[in-house]
Amino acid sequence: MFNTSDREYRQCALSVMDTIADPDIKFDEKGICNYYYEYKQAEAGLHKGAEGWAMLEKIADEIREEGKNKPYDCIMGLSGGVDSTYVAYLAKQLGLRPLAVHFDNGWNSELAVMNIENIITKLGFDLFTYVIDWNEFRDIQIAYLKASVVDIEAITDHAIFASLYRLAGERKIKYILSGTNVQTENTLPRSWIFNKHDHINIQSIHKAYGTLPLKTFPFSNAKVKRYYRQVLGVTSVSVINYVEYNKKKIKELIQRELGWRDYGGKHYESVWTRFYQGYILPTKFNIDKRKAHLSDLIFGGQITKEEALEELRKPIYDATQFKIDYDFVLKKLGLTEDEFNAIMQAPPRSHYDFDYEMPIDQRYPALKPFKTIYRTFFPVK
Amino acid sequence: MSQVRIIPVLLLKNGGLYKTVRFKNARYVGDPINTVKIFNEKEADELVLLDYNASLEKRGPDLKKISEIAGEAFMPMGYGGGIRTLDDAKKVFDGGFEKVVLNSILFEDLSIIEKIGNIYGAQAVVASVDVKKSLFGKQKVYGQSGTRGSGLDPVEWAKQLEGAGAGEIFLNSIDRDGTWEGYDVDLVREVSKAVSLPVIACGGAGNIQDLKQAVYDGGASAVAAGSMFVYQKKGMGVLISFPSEKLKI
Amino acid sequence: MLAIINYGLGNLTSIQNMCRRIGVEAMITDDPALIGKAERLILPGVGHFRKGMENLHASGLKQLLDRLVLEEKRPILGICLGAQLMTRHSEEGDVDGLGWVDADTIRFRDDRLKGLKVPHMGWREIIPAGSNPLWENLPAEPRFYFVHSYHFDFQRREEVAATAVYGAEFVCAFRKENVYGTQFHPEKSHKFGMKVLENFSRIKA
Repeated sequence: MFNTSDREYRQCALSVMDTIADPDIKFDEKGICNYYYEYKQAEAGLHKGAEGWAMLEKIADEIREEGKNKPYDCIMGLSGGVDSTYVAYLAKQLGLRPLAVHFDNGWNSELAVMNIENIITKLGFDLFTYVIDWNEFRDIQIAYLKASVVDIEAITDHAIFASLYRLAGERKIKYILSGTNVQTENTLPRSWIFNKHDHINIQSIHKAYGTLPLKTFPFSNAKVKRYYRQVLGVTSVSVINYVEYNKKKIKELIQRELGWRDYGGKHYESVWTRFYQGYILPTKFNIDKRKAHLSDLIFGGQITKEEALEELRKPIYDATQFKIDYDFVLKKLGLTEDEFNAIMQAPPRSHYDFDYEMPIDQRYPALKPFKTIYRTFFPVK
Repeated sequence: MSQVRIIPVLLLKNGGLYKTVRFKNARYVGDPINTVKIFNEKEADELVLLDYNASLEKRGPDLKKISEIAGEAFMPMGYGGGIRTLDDAKKVFDGGFEKVVLNSILFEDLSIIEKIGNIYGAQAVVASVDVKKSLFGKQKVYGQSGTRGSGLDPVEWAKQLEGAGAGEIFLNSIDRDGTWEGYDVDLVREVSKAVSLPVIACGGAGNIQDLKQAVYDGGASAVAAGSMFVYQKKGMGVLISFPSEKLKI
Repeated sequence: MLAIINYGLGNLTSIQNMCRRIGVEAMITDDPALIGKAERLILPGVGHFRKGMENLHASGLKQLLDRLVLEEKRPILGICLGAQLMTRHSEEGDVDGLGWVDADTIRFRDDRLKGLKVPHMGWREIIPAGSNPLWENLPAEPRFYFVHSYHFDFQRREEVAATAVYGAEFVCAFRKENVYGTQFHPEKSHKFGMKVLENFSRIKA
């Protein structure tokens, strides 16, 4: 069973992180977990209020100046979720001219598509959509399911990252506006995720269980990353880290200003993500991601622990929605119930059971032959 | 007041959705199952799925795939592509489609319309007419995904199809396909006037005004579009949409 | 368990798909034993009236259904042709129907169509006539998908459950005790159809 330990169950005094969420969680003498301190530390590094806005405006000036004679001065990912919607709103406030990029991996909910339509219409932005070849994407997803590794979303995250940088490079846009933020995403046990920039891991897992050649899937490798970052100077700006981010207030704002509709769950703009976070993670890996999101909100003073506990008491998946999603997911993936059950029963495996990007790959690609030799003696399991 | 049907048209190829311009340069649009699911949630009036190269490639319908797609639609669905016999049609109907769209087979055998219509009703048989201007500038009917000229005049052909018992005419302007320039309203008007069957206009729609024009000016009974419902706007990214405004006549 | 009667005509798959989507167990069957055991029945249908009656006679289903519906009062929902078959007689083919309701099936009259074309095909709003289990919690401005050239003709209003307008008013749904019929296709009418099927699945068996 994943994420179990011999430790006695214990929950953080302040938040809802516990020994199930992270068997390696640490508590101080007050019973407060390490995530609280990590959050506070990250928070301290942020600039808020008038100061934060001034810094953001200064960055916006640079962006505007740099992109003066181009059709777009920055690029931003748009998923239809709260974070990216708010980034779009801020971009407009700051007078920027972004190219909105939507990444379509074949799992969009109608709500997401409607939200995106409303946002770009109301804000007057152009949209570029990166449509992943569904057959290839499915092949990788199934490979990950069969590999029983935890971070299946790394595939999508990697592709988004690769696509944004590639597009920025092609269009000579130097700035990517990002929606990542401390206020709701800082807390994240390492056992829940894998490095989303690691293309080697994706390729290795796919090689083990995939059936189709990947001809169009956007991979980003060390060379690509270095090229875009260092040679073309593409940088990412985490816009939300410069402003107050009270989830409730922001939702009201974007509902009012942009006609945004709520999904009822973080990242539920994707049917797959809803299924993954609501069913696969809790059932196969014993992970309830809500604990992390809610703890961040507690740390930031947005909700109380009681409210978080109340939220956790609610079922993670609406039963009716689950039945519909279950049929849909299996149909889309082309899996029979037996095949899917076998996947769910199989014990979780580590991403490190497969090949992964090592410092040697990143810094000294010329030394690759040595890695091949290394792998001969220490093959992937 | 009647509500005019607005019908998204989806082009299927190798299990994926594509969009063409003038029946060429197919660009990948995405997964058909998810796309139909989204149109369903947007409560699209009706949907037409075309495996548009099936006849050209001498294939029949991919029944398993299209049934999976049909399972996501709780509105009427039409399917076209490689249907040549009554048995082909039966399998498509059993898969969850309400209408079959016939094209290439009609140049060989018109009687198939009645064969299907007698069992499933004439309204279940849609005759597809692809039209483009020939070298001499005259509108002519083309088969095999616009590659083979039949020499037929669209109005004459439509009348023949009506006589053969078709329930609807799906009129497609190849020249306007994917151009966002608006329907070929003259073509729509001429065919609509000539037959008493419902005519579905297709090819070139770029906005709601175009849809209205095809109905009020062209006399179309229903309007179909591809690009307009799968791209944000001309030249921009893939984004599924469906108008919330209803067309009344 | 709901049985979708397979007598060779109708959007069986679509009806079952919708039932599955709304969490109603439904089985497509032509087996008299299974039909006999089902708590509720759906009689679908698309096509010619004569063919419909022929199939019902030839399969022996007519006798079975007469017993289940008229004697045992099993709830049954007729859809489109299925509903028309429940009337006494149809002008399509000049054939007698099952006669479960006090009505005939007639072709749209030219003088009432006011220039509109036949078949009537497309979405149309319905006007529920009084309360009826099928219309419970129906979303506002209910509209459904119609595709037909013939429609029900009721002399009295008691059994009329809903009307619609195509040129002139026509009856689009009926109810007589346990017998329900809709001219429109719930299985192709989005959330409106889902509500109707959901309501039918809850009628006391």
